[in-house]
Amino acid sequence: MNLLNPLAFLFALLAVPIILLYLLRLQRREQNVSSTLLWRQVTMDREANTLWQRLRKNLLLFLQLATLAFLVFALIRPYVNLPSAVSGRTILLLDASASMQATDVQLSRFEAARNEARNVINALGTGNQMTLILVDGSPRALSTLTNDKAQLLETLDTARPSPDAANWSAAIALAAATGANNEQTTTIVISDGANADDLKLLQGRARFIPIGNSGDNDAISTLSLRRTLRGLSAFLRVTNAGPSDDTLLVSMRGDGSLLDARTLNVPAGKSVEWTLNNINPNVTALQASIDQAGKNLLKVDDSAYAVNAGNANRSALLLTRGNRFLEQALTALPDLRVTRAITPPVGAQTYDLYVLDGLSMTLPANANVMFISAQDTFSTTGIFSDTQYVRTESHPVTQQMDWRNVNVLDARRVSPSGWLRPLIESQGGPLLFAGEAPDDTLNRVVLLPFDLRRSDLPLQIAFPVLMANAVDWLAPPQGLNVPASVKPGEVVPMPAGTRVTLPDGALVEAGRRGFVQTTLPGIYAFDTGKVQGKFAVNFNNLSESQISPQRDLQIGSAGDESSPAVNPTSQREFWHALAAIALVLLIVEWWIYQRGLPAIGRQNR
Amino acid sequence: MLSEGFLQSLRNLRLNAPRRRIGTLTGERRSVKRGRSVEFADYRNYTPGDDPRRVDWNIFARLERPYIKLFEDEEDLTTHILLDDSPSMFWMGDDEAEVHRVSPKWLCAAQLAAALGYVALAAGDKVVIEASSFQRFGPKRGVAAAGALISFVENISAHRTTHHHSINRWLKRYALDARPGLCIVISDLLDEAGYIDGFNALGGSRLDVNLLHTLCPDELDPQFSGDLRLKDVETAGLQDMSMDDQVMNQYRQRLSAWTEETAANVRRRGGRYHLTDTSRPIEEIVLKDLRREEWLV
Repeated sequence: MNLLNPLAFLFALLAVPIILLYLLRLQRREQNVSSTLLWRQVTMDREANTLWQRLRKNLLLFLQLATLAFLVFALIRPYVNLPSAVSGRTILLLDASASMQATDVQLSRFEAARNEARNVINALGTGNQMTLILVDGSPRALSTLTNDKAQLLETLDTARPSPDAANWSAAIALAAATGANNEQTTTIVISDGANADDLKLLQGRARFIPIGNSGDNDAISTLSLRRTLRGLSAFLRVTNAGPSDDTLLVSMRGDGSLLDARTLNVPAGKSVEWTLNNINPNVTALQASIDQAGKNLLKVDDSAYAVNAGNANRSALLLTRGNRFLEQALTALPDLRVTRAITPPVGAQTYDLYVLDGLSMTLPANANVMFISAQDTFSTTGIFSDTQYVRTESHPVTQQMDWRNVNVLDARRVSPSGWLRPLIESQGGPLLFAGEAPDDTLNRVVLLPFDLRRSDLPLQIAFPVLMANAVDWLAPPQGLNVPASVKPGEVVPMPAGTRVTLPDGALVEAGRRGFVQTTLPGIYAFDTGKVQGKFAVNFNNLSESQISPQRDLQIGSAGDESSPAVNPTSQREFWHALAAIALVLLIVEWWIYQRGLPAIGRQNR
Repeated sequence: MLSEGFLQSLRNLRLNAPRRRIGTLTGERRSVKRGRSVEFADYRNYTPGDDPRRVDWNIFARLERPYIKLFEDEEDLTTHILLDDSPSMFWMGDDEAEVHRVSPKWLCAAQLAAALGYVALAAGDKVVIEASSFQRFGPKRGVAAAGALISFVENISAHRTTHHHSINRWLKRYALDARPGLCIVISDLLDEAGYIDGFNALGGSRLDVNLLHTLCPDELDPQFSGDLRLKDVETAGLQDMSMDDQVMNQYRQRLSAWTEETAANVRRRGGRYHLTDTSRPIEEIVLKDLRREEWLV
């Protein structure tokens, strides 16, 4: 046994004042009494226990000295060296992926992993250091290299499992940056090994602590909602990711009301689909969930959500002398109500979108406009005919659009303003612009600087794609560019200050980067003040639904087992036990002082 | 010492003597000796020498045999009041010493002696009061002696000697020349040597021994704590005690056993026993407690 703080032995000198105080306390106060006759008889009664009485006289002193002794022993912090599981530098990788929420072990795999991590931290030897890396979609070090066990344990308690898949390659890179390849460094991975093939890339001395023992799991792998002539139609795919067949009860709810429920037999490793038609088109959100299952260990993939984004109708004013291609392309778009006019309409009505095909009008403030052909709004510096395609800028308007086969006879050269971005470049100049106006005169603008009749664009496949992209960008289905479904952790773009109601009812505001608190799968409702809508956060990660644990994963450099190891030891302090004993002794001493000892021999009288 | 009103209420009371004793003078109490009183008691056969005036001639005429008429002989009673004035009777607890100049325990005992003496005088009985310091009052009879009696009791504490006699020695010495009668001992009986021999001596002199056992609250239910060295005010003997709840409980048990044993001793001799808490007002002790227990009628 060794001592960490031998100077604390000096506290033993406190025994001197204790004994002195005890001796002083024994100076009896003299008290006159009318007679000692009866008192002497009481003493005679008690003398049957003389030895006990003597012991009792000094028992309090013994207890006080024993308490002091244990306190002093606790203060000198004695320790013993015990063989340790970890030594040198240790990097602890704790798997926090979605599959770690499986409940095939007590509480969950993550809690079991946390307990294992706690054991590893407690076994940390004297002078050894450890860092804790939490491995989820974006692995991060929870603590720096430290030998402070309390800090490590405290940090460990803050770790939470995420609904993401683990990014093991990033975690290994992070470990390498911390020195995982160093000879003195041991990497300990606590994981279920599910979807962790990347772990084989780990180099250096490594140890794998497997968690989990079953791969039984069912998941809703797909849920989509589309409009049909008969209303809404939902498509659902349920996958049995486990090793044995299972029978599931799956239900679909629209805005919280049960629409239908069905029992599905899903063979092991297979998927079963179910399409539900004739859903009321006014339903704004759909939830599909596995309500009952025989063998289903992971809850997070049992529900999927979809929103009916097309429920909000948009209006467009098409000002044209007549362009059948344009008219057809626009009217074919879902949820777009097109009003065609040759002259600007009289009245105060505004539209979500204005398409000006070679004509001009007085536009309201903040209008979203698609300008086609010559416009007075933008100054032109001539006409160019060298319209051979050069490149396409990445932009929502140009998504999935192939311009290579488009031919344009001539186009106007528009002097670019700061905010108007060219999207399609040709030899002679840009053929497509888009941008958001910095002032209130306009909002979003798409500009085609050529007459459609002087090109074959309306005949190309690019035309309906361009129209759909442009309309969706200029007048998004929900008034904003909010996607209908995102993955957990994904950022949803929306204006700062937008109030978002989480699936659990909590209300938060979007920040400058958009809305980031998408950790919880479910339906989120947002309200910008002008525009309301919903979006869904879906787990939707079939690989994380494959939760079969790999208990015999080989990680680290081969041959490490045979590397000569200096028997690592760790210091085990036991001052806690000594302090606890001192406390118990103090309580006993107080109790005896207050209540007296139980009278031994009283029954003999 | 005693208020006028209290004395007034005592005037109608008499000490209740459970057994009759022979007196020397014709008093107001019946004697076991039948004689010349007027109250008929019994008949007996005539024997030569009897006073022929006491023959019942009506019976003789009817039965032709002489019978002597016997009458109750009314005689006086000697009341012996033995008042313990040992140092323990003057003891008072620390708290009391701050409040009182005279020990409440002693004051109560003295008042009891004066009150009972007054009752006896008022009843025409002969009264003797003796303190354990051998100061003596009487024998005297008649209410006229009441002033002297109270004055005597008041001055006992002033004239007592510091020398302490044991209870046994005092009682045995008193029994030597005591006339038969009612004897009331007022004492705490706190004496190492006990009291049995003294009581036996009193009984042997045909005294009906009654005991007013005077104990103060600090003796009945002491409130001591901590480590103490107890000093006996009579013997100066020392006793170390570590006071805790257990010791206090044992003391109370001991005290209870002792008073019960003393009461049994007194009652076995045909006497009365009353445990007197000296903190109670004298009026309550005499007019309530002692009347209820038929010490006074």
